[in-house]
Amino acid sequence: MSTQAFTLTAPRSTVLFAGLMTDDTQSLADGLRRRDPDVLDRLIEQYQQRLYRYLLFLTGNTALAEDLFQETWIRVLERGHQYNAKSKFESWLFAIARNLVIDVSRRKKIASLEELGDSESNQPFELPDERSVSPLQLLVTRENEQVVQLSLLKIPAYYREVLLLRFQEELSLEEISTVLSTPLSTVKSRLYRGLTVLKSALPEGAA
Amino acid sequence: MTGNPHVRAQQLFAQSLVDGLASADQEWLAAHLRECDSCSRESASTRELLSALRAVPVAVPRDLAARTQMRVRLRAQQVAQASESNFLLWVVTGASWLLGVFSAPLVWRGFTWVGVQLNLPKPVLELGFVLWWAIPALIAVAVVIHQRTLNGIGARSSSSEARH
Repeated sequence: MSTQAFTLTAPRSTVLFAGLMTDDTQSLADGLRRRDPDVLDRLIEQYQQRLYRYLLFLTGNTALAEDLFQETWIRVLERGHQYNAKSKFESWLFAIARNLVIDVSRRKKIASLEELGDSESNQPFELPDERSVSPLQLLVTRENEQVVQLSLLKIPAYYREVLLLRFQEELSLEEISTVLSTPLSTVKSRLYRGLTVLKSALPEGAA
Repeated sequence: MTGNPHVRAQQLFAQSLVDGLASADQEWLAAHLRECDSCSRESASTRELLSALRAVPVAVPRDLAARTQMRVRLRAQQVAQASESNFLLWVVTGASWLLGVFSAPLVWRGFTWVGVQLNLPKPVLELGFVLWWAIPALIAVAVVIHQRTLNGIGARSSSSEARH
């Protein structure tokens, strides 16, 4: 086993958004300050997959995730002047989305985030068609993915969200700390504990 | 760090995923995983779990982005209109304040003339003077609040149409 296997690979997003951290970030902030609809259209296209996936895993409810997706972008429009271009746009975006999820949970007088999803009937989300793999491979892959989905929905939301932000959205620890408005040490401890909890939530013999 | 090499390996492996490892620790862990089947299996299963987590595809509803873009554009128009009318409101408020300041001595002279003609006590005149300025402002505030309430209802109904 190579030593390289243990180092964290550079997140996709680091490469994709390296350019955005300089002049593009500033022009993005200017566009948001002007409430430029073209800038927002582009951002909605660009982040639709990541934001929807984040909301879906956080809430476990497709209708609620859709509503919150739209509300997040409305809030980005209304509060665009607050984005200061010092942090990554995606951190700011996920923080807005997370605050909306918390607002919804408060409105519904739900004690915690995990009650948002229909825990009694937590079904895996609908997966898109995959035509490039054999039916058998597809079945096995889907089963694994569904097992992971279900296990993820079973664990407490405060572990789920750090796992999603770290391993799915590939944010750095500092960025996660910004999104959650939580100290770095708490983020780390939730990640360590979350990994253990997620593994224990998997059915016997899985992953 | 613990003296048990298997526990240490598990801790270092988790640390490598969360926080990264110093090169000496990386080397120690690599060497341990080469020798220990149990720890190697454990780390492989965690890596599989994380790659499954990254790979979980989520189908974004086909028209969600388009619906959101439409709703955002509608809201952007409403916000732009609201800031235009806010600007006008500030201009009118400023002009009326200036007019009020400069015309106050004349108005007070008019009030004292009426007071003398009707033989009214001074507190009544002062109250009348205050109301002369306050009532139009209170009516203007009531109109603005009423309009904003109507706009809010309109915005909510148009955004709920765009939502679906």
